[in-house]
Amino acid sequence: MVRVRDGDQASFGLLLEKHRSPVVHFLHRMVHNRAVAEELAQEVFLRVYRSRENYEPTAKFTTWLFRIAMHLGLNWIRDGRNEKFHDRLDDETSDGASKQVPDRSRTVELELVYQAKLREVRQAIESLPSKQRAAVMLHKYEELEYTQIANVLSCSESAVKSLLYRAYESLRTRLAHMA
Amino acid sequence: MYCPLKNGDGAEVVISYVAGTLDAETDSEFQRHMGTCPKCRDAVAAQEALWSALDAWGPVPVSPDFDYKLFRRIAEEERGQWWRSLAWPQWWWRPAMPVAAACALLAGAFLLRHPAPTISQEAQTQPKLEIEQVEHALDDMDLLRQLGVEAISDKASPSEKI
Repeated sequence: MVRVRDGDQASFGLLLEKHRSPVVHFLHRMVHNRAVAEELAQEVFLRVYRSRENYEPTAKFTTWLFRIAMHLGLNWIRDGRNEKFHDRLDDETSDGASKQVPDRSRTVELELVYQAKLREVRQAIESLPSKQRAAVMLHKYEELEYTQIANVLSCSESAVKSLLYRAYESLRTRLAHMA
Repeated sequence: MYCPLKNGDGAEVVISYVAGTLDAETDSEFQRHMGTCPKCRDAVAAQEALWSALDAWGPVPVSPDFDYKLFRRIAEEERGQWWRSLAWPQWWWRPAMPVAAACALLAGAFLLRHPAPTISQEAQTQPKLEIEQVEHALDDMDLLRQLGVEAISDKASPSEKI
């Protein structure tokens, strides 16, 4: 990112290559809609590009990146548009393909079981308060450290640990039958 | 090792252990402790089961034209900035504003001191008078012409008169 700030446009492409998927995946888990997630992810990188001249490496780049992503995701959710734009797992896309890419090594039965399990996991995470949900997604799926999560969520490290403890406890209770 | 669950920070140790983020020394120490502590073993097993369940929510594929759309948006935005700078060049309008205001004041003061000349009543009626004079002159010429013809006929021979 420092090279991008100094005018190296090719480095922006490298950043995009490295962080495109994690940002889209994170936003998809927040907003539950692939098209919206990609649109928001583009907005994230657009803001990164706009701010390139003023960038100062005071924290890890991923921390800054996910902070932008989280704010955009939370704003989109708070706008109240999440209900009608949710991807339903049993809906098909316009080209007839299912939302989740099926594992072709699974039988139909196993695929149904997998889809049911996935639905339960998504609903369990969805049921968490927004900050707990964000903490779980950043910790579990993006593998950020506690300090990074604290920076993204604008809270202390001890608050992050508390959020994660309560979130995982809720999820363990809700998904205990999957053990 | 003391039991993390009894000590209050057990949740953090268990979570970090399952996530694989404990430092090497603490990790091996906790593993040794679990050999003698069933509570910690159960806590780890529960967290590992949850971790495995959460793994079911895998990533979705990103559209192949994601980068293309992003760079197009960047290009459009940069084009828009270029046009805006042309239409409203911010680099010079700020010093130009006070200069323009000063020029407007000077022009207003000049006009107040030297108002534009107005056309006099005489000048406005002059063309009308000229027309009347011409008409009179033409009438006089007609009269003179007529008088000239009579004078010539008066000078004609007496025989012509009889």
